[in-house]
Amino acid sequence: MVPIVEAVNVKKTYMLGKVPVEALRGVDLKVETGDFVSILGPSGSGKSTMLNLIGALDKPTAGTLLIDGVDISKLNDNQLADLRRRIGFVFQFFNLIPRLTARDNVELSMSISDTGRAQRRKRAEELLETVGLKDRINHKPAELSGGQQQRVAIARALANNPRFLLLDEPTGNIDSKTASEVIRLIKKLNVENNVSIIMVTHDQHLAREAKRTAQMFDGQIISEVVNQE
Amino acid sequence: MKTIDIFGYAFSAIKLRKLRAALTILGVVIGIAAIVALLSITQGLQASITNQLQQGLSTNTLIVTPGVSALGQATSGSGGGAGGRGINLGGSSTSNSGFNLYVNYTDQINALSPDIEGSFAVIQRSGYVEAGGVNRSVTIYGVDFNQYAKQYSKTFVAASGTIPLNPADSETVVGTRVNNPGQNGTLLFSAGDNIGIVWSNATTLPVVNETYTAQVSAVLQKIGGFGIGGPSDTGVYIPLSKAESFFGTDQCDMIIVQLKSSDNATITNVSKAITDYFGGQVSVISSTAVLSLLSTVFSTVQLFLGGIAAISLLVAGIGIMNIMIVSLIERTREIGILKALGMKSRTVLTIFLGESVIIGLIGAVIGIVLGWILASVTARVLASGAFGGGGFRITPLLTPEVVLGALAFGVGVSVIFALYPAWRASKLKPVEALRYE
Repeated sequence: MVPIVEAVNVKKTYMLGKVPVEALRGVDLKVETGDFVSILGPSGSGKSTMLNLIGALDKPTAGTLLIDGVDISKLNDNQLADLRRRIGFVFQFFNLIPRLTARDNVELSMSISDTGRAQRRKRAEELLETVGLKDRINHKPAELSGGQQQRVAIARALANNPRFLLLDEPTGNIDSKTASEVIRLIKKLNVENNVSIIMVTHDQHLAREAKRTAQMFDGQIISEVVNQE
Repeated sequence: MKTIDIFGYAFSAIKLRKLRAALTILGVVIGIAAIVALLSITQGLQASITNQLQQGLSTNTLIVTPGVSALGQATSGSGGGAGGRGINLGGSSTSNSGFNLYVNYTDQINALSPDIEGSFAVIQRSGYVEAGGVNRSVTIYGVDFNQYAKQYSKTFVAASGTIPLNPADSETVVGTRVNNPGQNGTLLFSAGDNIGIVWSNATTLPVVNETYTAQVSAVLQKIGGFGIGGPSDTGVYIPLSKAESFFGTDQCDMIIVQLKSSDNATITNVSKAITDYFGGQVSVISSTAVLSLLSTVFSTVQLFLGGIAAISLLVAGIGIMNIMIVSLIERTREIGILKALGMKSRTVLTIFLGESVIIGLIGAVIGIVLGWILASVTARVLASGAFGGGGFRITPLLTPEVVLGALAFGVGVSVIFALYPAWRASKLKPVEALRYE
């Protein structure tokens, strides 16, 4: 199977005003299907940039980055958008659409990828049941707790059967008790449903929940360790 | 993303900010309502004037007047257009060029073309009648009662009394507003009564008021509106021979020519024959020319009024643009989310344009209904005579063209002004949009 992510000497330089900032200075990373990798690093280490690149939200300045076997630097905006439909993004701040109910939020990602109404309705309900929110289907984000919102976001990310879930500080904005519930859900998805997961975080304890941890510092991956169960 | 889903999403965004959406829509409503109201009133006015003209001016009739007028030129096809003189139809004016029409020219006109059925002269003066101690301004027409009644068989009809076909010089026929000015049943006089007919003779100084007493043989039935050359509600009709002696002239103000056919070729040929015969010193007006001039005038008026109303819609458009830009800024993060979920730029564009289409459509529909109500109310106020003049009846016309045009214009303006904000929304970079607080 094609690796879901394959980065070779990836560089990314931003212009901060007139000053070039080297956010990534040659990153190598390979993530296989079924893996659960955490990318760990302090702020300023380049992990957010890495997240944007793996999420096909941005393109590298140099190097090769294959997402699901596709070199993203060769894609135009439309093709990048298409690629993003195969990636399940979960954000630190949930990023649900406030005016839509839990179900409509989950349905939204499916309606973006042209799924029919009846089918996406059914799947949204199934997914919300999977993440344990069957009784919160018609609630809007404001009526849900942080943990519940994050579970809606995970359901939304799973809706299009993505090649992998991309988590950005998934527990960064929820209390520790609900955080452990969310982590349990993520691990369950990885183990039982064989969902590949890439998680970006600055939290060492959280990073250790993954099968592997890639430690970033100053725009490079300085170490990769396999975590003990 | 499917079109229905795009519109559903756009609608959910509008619903979220109801007051803001309502105010934006209100702008469109006002613009469209103004356009629809103005257009349906002017179109109704045009229809009612055209209708009344057609009643007063049969299509197989030409009116020959001395002098050159815009209409005459248009009819005779000699070019030039509006010479700034307008329609020379009334009063005791003689032509500027010194050319005059005479009563006995009818014989010569009759001989000009086999298409001419006959012709008769009209002498016309402003004057007034004295009856029951009241002076009432009227137009005095000297006509051949027999020919006039034949030509205007629908309007030169007695409501009371009888129109004498071979009248004595002292007989007269009057329009209904002459003896019943308020149209409220208070009669100044009735058929059979004597009235004084007065004409201020200003051909020599000092001005002399010439008066004679006439017997009213008949009062005409209500004609309404106005007819060029035809009978009018404020007209006083006296025999042509009496007019010649009373006004001291055998010059006439118009000669009405009846044609055997009303087709355009006949009208054009006879008009040209008459114009040529009098060396271009007369205007020949046909009903078709009057109607086409009228239609030109009304088109201009409509364009002008519609243009003014359109400005208010333009203001609404700027409002839409303003609100869309605010909305775009507020929803920057949302757009980032949508793009991160795989939405394409053109779908973002379509969502924003979809919102403007919904706003424009709702605004246009409400505007059309409101405009129609406004026009109906205005017409009713005019008809009730609240602004004097005894009331003028207009039935506002709402043609399918106006409805469709208003819809298209409302939606079009909304979409055009939404283009820029929509384009900006679609161009947002997902990374930056997601970072936006």
